[in-house]
Amino acid sequence: MMKKTLRAAKKQTCIGGNLFQALLPYIGLFLLVLIFGVMTNFTSVSLRNLRLIVQQSYVLIICSIGVFFIMTMGSLDFSQGSIIGVASIAIAFLAQCNLALAVIVGIVIGAAIGFINGFLFVKFKVSSFIVTICTMFIFRGVCAFLTTEKPMSAPMYMYSLDQLYIFVPVVAVILGLGWFLFSGTSFGRKVKAIGAGETAAKFSGIRVASTKIFVYTLAGALAGFAATINTIRVGSITATSGTLLETNIMISLVLGGMPVTGGSKNRFSSVVVGVLLFAVLNNGLALLQIDPNIQQLIRGVLFLAIVVATTDRNVAIVVK
Amino acid sequence: MNKSVEILRAENISKSFGNTQACNNVSLSLARGEVHGLIGENGSGKSTFASMLCGVYAPDGGTFYLDGEEYSAHTQVEANEKGVAIIVQEVGTLNGLTVAQNIFLGKEDRFTRFGIFRPHKLNRTVNEILKRYGFDYINAGDMIDSYDYEVRKLVEIVKATHFGPKIVVVDETSTALSQDGRDILYDQIKKISDSGNTVLFISHDLDEVLQLTDRVSVLRDGSYVDTVVSSESSTDQLKILMVGREIDRKYYRTDYGGTISEEVVLRARNINVKDKIFDIDLDVHKGEILGIGGLSDCGMHDLAKAFFGAAYNRSGEITTATGVKINSIPDAIKNGIAYTAKDRDNESVVLNASIRDNITLLALAKVRKGPVISRTKENQFAQRLADQMSVKMQGLEQFVAGLSGGNKQKVVLARWLGTEPQILILDSPTRGIDIKVKADIYSLMDNLRKEGRAIVMISEELMELIGMCDRILVLKNGRINGEFFRSKELTEHDLIHQML
Repeated sequence: MMKKTLRAAKKQTCIGGNLFQALLPYIGLFLLVLIFGVMTNFTSVSLRNLRLIVQQSYVLIICSIGVFFIMTMGSLDFSQGSIIGVASIAIAFLAQCNLALAVIVGIVIGAAIGFINGFLFVKFKVSSFIVTICTMFIFRGVCAFLTTEKPMSAPMYMYSLDQLYIFVPVVAVILGLGWFLFSGTSFGRKVKAIGAGETAAKFSGIRVASTKIFVYTLAGALAGFAATINTIRVGSITATSGTLLETNIMISLVLGGMPVTGGSKNRFSSVVVGVLLFAVLNNGLALLQIDPNIQQLIRGVLFLAIVVATTDRNVAIVVK
Repeated sequence: MNKSVEILRAENISKSFGNTQACNNVSLSLARGEVHGLIGENGSGKSTFASMLCGVYAPDGGTFYLDGEEYSAHTQVEANEKGVAIIVQEVGTLNGLTVAQNIFLGKEDRFTRFGIFRPHKLNRTVNEILKRYGFDYINAGDMIDSYDYEVRKLVEIVKATHFGPKIVVVDETSTALSQDGRDILYDQIKKISDSGNTVLFISHDLDEVLQLTDRVSVLRDGSYVDTVVSSESSTDQLKILMVGREIDRKYYRTDYGGTISEEVVLRARNINVKDKIFDIDLDVHKGEILGIGGLSDCGMHDLAKAFFGAAYNRSGEITTATGVKINSIPDAIKNGIAYTAKDRDNESVVLNASIRDNITLLALAKVRKGPVISRTKENQFAQRLADQMSVKMQGLEQFVAGLSGGNKQKVVLARWLGTEPQILILDSPTRGIDIKVKADIYSLMDNLRKEGRAIVMISEELMELIGMCDRILVLKNGRINGEFFRSKELTEHDLIHQML
């Protein structure tokens, strides 16, 4: 009898612990908003600034959805920024003829690069970390090559598309679809299972190889689509367009409570909370007029601290 | 030899992992020069106790006394230095290192001069040691990877015993060994005790324990129960001590003289798996339990994978009753084939996922409303199957990693029952599982058989093959080397004769 109550009590504290961990990103977001609010005399929570934060987050949030699926499988993707770069160049070029065509080609380019990532990763069993770093260099090279003469400029009419009432619904729909795909479909379950135990997933009849390739292709396509928004917002595409996006995505997801080891403890809400946290942090640091190089340093330290603090060492026994 | 001088005393040793009290005030005493058995059901705390003795875990409470002095070790190397060594249940050697490097892992210092490591000296020393053991065919300089499981176990035996430790713990080592390997192990155990040192022998195989040991201690649910003298005890007595109540000895099937259906549900023709299986033809009939036995490397585990579409380099044809060819795992599952693997933790369950997710993963189509997965349906589905298998759990949300071996296997079976399979390939279904759960699994198999489902049981335990199967095929070097039908007269000896 006593044993039973003891066990029940322990179980509750256990759930309490999980709850705290799950709420941590939200608490962090609240504190961050509060701190920056006080420090900037509440300009950080002005309507104008909030709108800026939202505008700065479109690309990051769309790309994070794709990478969320990749990281759920326990893999990584460092090529996201270079996808944005290459696709943006194509979009800026094609948009001079036809916007719809440009958007579609952007998605196709992204999907193609994603497919290459997935294919190399699965077929040659090279770790995703290595494969995507290599493709990043390759497509960064392509970007640099295409913009050697001069930056690729988007046609003027595109600027007028940078409206909250266009992008917010678009991003919301994509987020909704992503959430549905992850939590409501067999596909989401299969991706989770691969991250939690690939061999067991294979023995459960999941086509691991094709699922992996599909997830990379999906993430690439999402980045390809985000490239349109990037082009509209930036206007002129240079060789460095999209640089560091890949790390920003991963920082966001980890800030949002995503375990770096992948697996079954993931929540889709990490995408939204993480990107918001990251955007608020960046925006706050900028408002406080902190040197951009120092900002970079702060982000790095924060990333490391959170990964160290939240990594489940019981799961990741072997570190490679 | 006087086996009454105490070498080790454990006093009130306790250890808990989260919610689980693995060892609860365990006190026991080992004598110099004895072989001391330690038995108990799964999760009774045997391995935990051994791990604390060998410096893997620190006890939460209690004290060990070695030779009358207080003893504690923080690492395995420290335990070795103080004279305690262990041969573990699973693979205890590291890939990518040579035999010699494995044996002296963490003790390379003594082969280092002026900070420079001298591999030749190490290899020479180890070759001498291996020779002393009579393992001339193992070469100290070879990569451990190039040896098979059995030889690697031998290397572990050398690693644990070559420096003459006062206490050697042998933790479930014999379960994975063939008869040859076991004989070598028994031989070494005898040598250790002859030299005046002590062996703590942990095993599920009670016959083996009684045969080998001087005394046996029994643990139950983390607590010490009793110590008995082996020569004055019997397996039944030990079982009663382990379980705390009398167990019906007849947990196998009791029916004889049935006929096997003519209806073939799975047909294998000309099956070859590169270097493992050669030209196997066989039929699995409706409602039969077909046993496949042999030495652990006879190819039977590969044959099981071949049936499930999971073997690499397979040729030949596997077809179902309706003529569908099975060439991949999804094919197999779609056509009502279930497979429980010998490597349970990696292949049969997703350890780091909840019991619910594990159970529903195989039957996602059954928990959907249209294209959408329904949480309610999922919970009902998983709960129903977990209840059917009476899985002991805190809730469906609990991760499988935290379950004991027997409960894990129950989850494995619950997963597959959810797919309503017609053919079940069960590879070593009771491996490392205690008697209670074993009995549950046997009665489940019997029920499935009566429902007309076909079962292929691959097992290294001959008694369970004889006790459960309608028909037994013995494999030898990848070929079928004998077929036996269910009969009261069938003995282990008959099977062994065809295995060797």
